[in-house]
Amino acid sequence: MSRSVSRAAIVSAIVKKDLVEFSRDTLYLFLSILGLVLFITFFWIAPKTVNETLTLGVHQTGMDALFDQYQEGANASEGLRLVQFASEEELRKVIAGDLEYWQSEDGSQTFLRDKAAGDEKPKDAKRVDVTIGIGFPAGFLEKTAAKERTTVTVYSDAGVPSEIQGAMKSFVREIAYAIAGDAVPVTEPSQENIILGTDRAGDQVSLREKMRPMLALFVLMVEVLSMASLVSSEVMNRTVKAVLVTPARAGDFLMAKTIYGTMLAMSQAMIVLIAIGAFTQANWWLLLLTMLIGSVMFTGVAMIIGSAGKDFIGTLFYGVLFLVPLMIPAFAILLPGTASAWIRFLPTYGMTQVLTGITAYGLGWTDVWQSLLAATAWVIVIYLAGLFTLKRKVESL
Amino acid sequence: MTEAAIKVEDITYSYGDLLAVKGISFEVQPGEILGFLGPNGAGKSTTIKMLTGQVAPKSGVAQILGADITLDDPAIQARIGVCFEEKNLYLSMSAKENLDFYASLYGIKDPDSIEILRRVGLADRAKDRVKTYSKGMRQRMMISRAFINKPDVLFLDEPTDGLDPVTSASIRTTIKEEAARGAAVLLTTHDMFEADELSDRVAFINDGVIVAIDTPENLKLKFGKRSVKVRMRDGSGVREEIVALDRPDSGDRLKEVVGSGDVLTIHTEEATLEDIFIQMTGRGLVG
Ligand SMILES: Nc1ncnc2c1ncn2[C@@H]1O[C@H](COP(=O)(O)OP(=O)(O)O)[C@@H](O)[C@H]1O
Ligand SMILES: [Mg+2]
Repeated sequence: MSRSVSRAAIVSAIVKKDLVEFSRDTLYLFLSILGLVLFITFFWIAPKTVNETLTLGVHQTGMDALFDQYQEGANASEGLRLVQFASEEELRKVIAGDLEYWQSEDGSQTFLRDKAAGDEKPKDAKRVDVTIGIGFPAGFLEKTAAKERTTVTVYSDAGVPSEIQGAMKSFVREIAYAIAGDAVPVTEPSQENIILGTDRAGDQVSLREKMRPMLALFVLMVEVLSMASLVSSEVMNRTVKAVLVTPARAGDFLMAKTIYGTMLAMSQAMIVLIAIGAFTQANWWLLLLTMLIGSVMFTGVAMIIGSAGKDFIGTLFYGVLFLVPLMIPAFAILLPGTASAWIRFLPTYGMTQVLTGITAYGLGWTDVWQSLLAATAWVIVIYLAGLFTLKRKVESL
Repeated sequence: MTEAAIKVEDITYSYGDLLAVKGISFEVQPGEILGFLGPNGAGKSTTIKMLTGQVAPKSGVAQILGADITLDDPAIQARIGVCFEEKNLYLSMSAKENLDFYASLYGIKDPDSIEILRRVGLADRAKDRVKTYSKGMRQRMMISRAFINKPDVLFLDEPTDGLDPVTSASIRTTIKEEAARGAAVLLTTHDMFEADELSDRVAFINDGVIVAIDTPENLKLKFGKRSVKVRMRDGSGVREEIVALDRPDSGDRLKEVVGSGDVLTIHTEEATLEDIFIQMTGRGLVG
């Protein structure tokens, strides 16, 4: 008996089958929905304005002039307020929560309240939360100027986000450089510095806005794991062999997985992007296009991960191996300042640049087309690698 | 004479340095069941992998339904059915969903999945997820999947391995039905009874080589002993005697024994396929 079946019919049959399987996988269904909810929540609880002030406790001696100067500049641009403490011990206790720090309305008077010792609430004053602080050692200024090594202690409450802790470290470093002037060489002279996103002085972007591109990538990443598990379950259960002895070919199989994965990633990304208000009248088509390229790219990565692993642990191993470096550009957006040059060579770098540009800085097609082209080139490379890995794997089953 | 459905000439396959199939040749005609009998690791599954287009032979040529296997022609793949050694079913889907999916890969518009499941006794469980099936049910499911496209050539890799006798018997019945319909069947097994019962011809395969290929009858005649074992009362004890059937005096000796009135039992000493296998290769079928 001879029948002929079109490639499109085969591909759509596999996609349909995948959807049925996915809808039965309650764990992944649950994780996907949980992911969506978490991502959207993260976004809406992130600080929404740049002017949200962070209060930084400082203990120092002999640097009053410097700090007054810094504080003026800092208040104006970065929403950072400095509070000085007479001793490092006081600073430590305030951050640890053993002492409360209160300030009068006009800021001219300050009080320290030891609640455990029964101190009264200061009158006409409000409590100021100090969750991070820096203790400079005595003689810091002179020693640093003389290029002597000193220890600066950064105190931080466990609840302080790591990116702010990171910011403190660069803050300390900058102070040291400022003091030492040109005399002190940059510690990593071999690294080129890159500002992620578009560096526009005075055009500050809030943490929340920076989270847009990151969340978009996170959604894709979660999708990678569920896609990879789908491909790897076909590999591990050897069902892919049964598919390939029918008129279906390896290319059909991959095509079906690509369509399915892209559909899934796109639909989830759309939900999140709409919920976090990433679409605007001006950017919607560019953002859609970028997410499409991103979805295809991550689906390709999923194919490599899914066909490389021998078992569940193997899939997990390859998942981490591939995803961690791919997420680095996204994290780099959140961390203030600079990132190393090698990040440019990660496949997701271009994507991340474009997403940041579109969702946080309002860039358009002319600004991002080169990065998009680079991302597309990566998609092709990743696909060929995926096809190769899958074919090799199937032959060894 | 009709054209052979499977035609294999001197094909080999190696996994790295390991030569798993070392140049085998055979043919299977439409409606014929060829049993590949050999121990684990003999190269049976690897041969099926090559013939179903999962891997390409390192050398040699093979044709399925007149087409070279390396062409990986979808028109030919549409006409073969494969039952894998491992039970590769979609566990979260029902039996019917599994069959319907495979049918759609063949472009079959309205597959008769329930009817096919009825043949293997699974019609009443058609809507249940395969996850809930017992080992035997999954194996029957595997067989039914191989039948979904009414294949002209069937490859069955150890279709009854590890099953209870009742399930095995019912699976064997369906295999015979497929051959009767005109399908060429290549079946692998390390069970000599299965090979004996099902096969029109048996190929002994050992260490990647076919050491003999013929009808079970001929193999037994060629290699087996033609003799009977007689147990007789001997005073207060019991005595055994092997009486050859192919000597000039065989008839006389047999008459003598039977006439003595001391006979307890007589069994033919016909060799089993395994006896012959051991005789030819120096090893058994199991282990
Ligand atoms: N995927 C594989 N990789 C490496 N060696 C394999 C693989 N599959 C089978 N072999 C080896 O090839 C030989 C033949 O195996 P196989 O064809 O599965 O035998 P059978 O089906 O007769 O038990 C064995 O030595 C086996 O270990
Ligand atoms: Mg085998």
